Amino acid sequence: MPLIETHGLTKQYPAVTALDALDIDVEPGVIGLVGANGAGKSTLIKILLGLLPATRGSARVLDFDVAHEGSSLRQFVGYMPEHDCLPPDISATEFVAHLAQVSGLPRAAARERTAETLRHVGLFEERYRNLGGYSTGMKQRVKLAQALVHDPRLIFLDEPTNGLDPAGREEMLELVRRTGSEFGIAILMASHLLGEIERVCDALIVIDGGRLVRQGAVAEFTAALGSLEVEVDGDATSLAARLTERGFEARGEGALAYVALDGDGEETYDAIRDGIVDLDMGLVRLEQRRQSLEDLFRPQEESMAEPEHV
Amino acid sequence: MSERAAGSIYDLGYRRYAGVRLGRWHSAFSLYVHGLRAAFGLGRRASSKIFPVGLAIIAAIPAIGYLMAAAFFSIDISDVLQAEEYYSTTTFFPQVALMLFVAAVAPELLGRDQRHATLPLYFSRALSRYDYTLARFGAMATALLALTLLPQAILFLGNAMVVESFGDYFREEWGQVGPIIGSSILISVFLAAIGMVIAAQTSRRAFATIGIIAPFIFLPSIATVLVEMLDNFTGRIGVFLNPFLVIDGFTYWLFGASANVGDQLRDANFAGGAYFLFALAVTVIALALLLRRYGRQSL
Repeated sequence: MPLIETHGLTKQYPAVTALDALDIDVEPGVIGLVGANGAGKSTLIKILLGLLPATRGSARVLDFDVAHEGSSLRQFVGYMPEHDCLPPDISATEFVAHLAQVSGLPRAAARERTAETLRHVGLFEERYRNLGGYSTGMKQRVKLAQALVHDPRLIFLDEPTNGLDPAGREEMLELVRRTGSEFGIAILMASHLLGEIERVCDALIVIDGGRLVRQGAVAEFTAALGSLEVEVDGDATSLAARLTERGFEARGEGALAYVALDGDGEETYDAIRDGIVDLDMGLVRLEQRRQSLEDLFRPQEESMAEPEHV
Repeated sequence: MSERAAGSIYDLGYRRYAGVRLGRWHSAFSLYVHGLRAAFGLGRRASSKIFPVGLAIIAAIPAIGYLMAAAFFSIDISDVLQAEEYYSTTTFFPQVALMLFVAAVAPELLGRDQRHATLPLYFSRALSRYDYTLARFGAMATALLALTLLPQAILFLGNAMVVESFGDYFREEWGQVGPIIGSSILISVFLAAIGMVIAAQTSRRAFATIGIIAPFIFLPSIATVLVEMLDNFTGRIGVFLNPFLVIDGFTYWLFGASANVGDQLRDANFAGGAYFLFALAVTVIALALLLRRYGRQSL
């Protein structure tokens, strides 16, 4: 059963086409939804939640038709909006427990799940304090907690790291990653920062101007166009030269050699191994370069590197 | 190391929820209960309780006052303060307390969710936009019903206690129970619908409160001018602009009395049923506008 499946999904506003005939088909997992600001990420999420009607086309989420079975579907999904959505004058515990009940949990279960979920997102004693006094990082955690409290099968995260400082960003991404991998909850995470998506997600949907650019596993994206970073305990330039001789694209810099991956990569790995053995060097590290995803979207990089609104 | 590992397992103790999911009606009902509690400031800080609870007490003062008078002086007060008069313009200030209660509570119920942008969190759950709207409206109407019924219950039971035979009083006055409940319900939904539809137009609390109070101040004056100055049908119709007189009209009618009580109602000279139908129509229209407003709310 696909997690999300859309056919010709279109959302037209009087002045703009926010989504243009999207055909999406993704399996459960942690899915990144990438696009510049205004690419249609939030619109897509709202349609998939059944909050907005689509102009044309159909969408199924968890095998529910979003247009007609929205109410049943929404029992099993969670949503963390991009903007601030917390009332300042009640405590995190009260707020999350209330929303758990509105999600359909009986009162006692709602209380219990609230305590567990708030602990899961890293809120302890402060959960009894009013939300108004929370830092941005804590607020983001409460927003995540309310999306998780009813143990959904899928959560939609709209720019979960918005407004966070680098440390807070790391913690939030780690939390998202754990939620996806350790607790088996499928995630659709919208972000305009590729680095975040690459760290956390295992599949990717790229949209631009309402159109689908590409979708697939993150591994596919990096394997196709990625390059390897090889660290050796000798002179990497000689290794690079040797590889270039054998027809690979490589360049060396001090102890580091960068080698483009060829085909499925088998030959490249073999050539690197042979080269290192022949030159009598030690291999310190061999990894795919992190920015490989960004290489793929270089034409869009400018719009993606826009400073975030805080 | 093993201790730390055990510690982190405890921290990570995320368990799946295998219990029941009660669905849409439970969602709407939880929101309704939440709204009802919020209406009286329950579970909130003390300052949130001052207005609603204070107004509830003010609305009950005539009942309590008459009851105390009856208890101390052992007089039958049922002739002094009739049930149908309680929320009429004759007693006036319980009616004003109701109006102020709506002005204080309706913006609290609707404006908060708009102001703090919590609506998407509700709408992304099992309940629909209409469920949300009806749950909020229901909470407002029920809170008002508590305010309208409580004094009536005090008055009724108080009267029953001061007369010689409790049972006889009950049998004699039994016919009053239906009209008391009926008029209380209509007063509550009528005022709730008006208050909610005004409160839904703005997220600013102060504006909403003023927006609700203003028509209750200006419309009666306009009604008076029309009814008293213009001695024709157009002028007489003006009486419907005064929500207090509309309440008088249908309440007397429900109690089986003539609606032509007081100068203006007498001058307007409509059948009591007209006020009843008018209040019903206003309630339905206001509720429809409210539902439309939330059906179209962009997120």
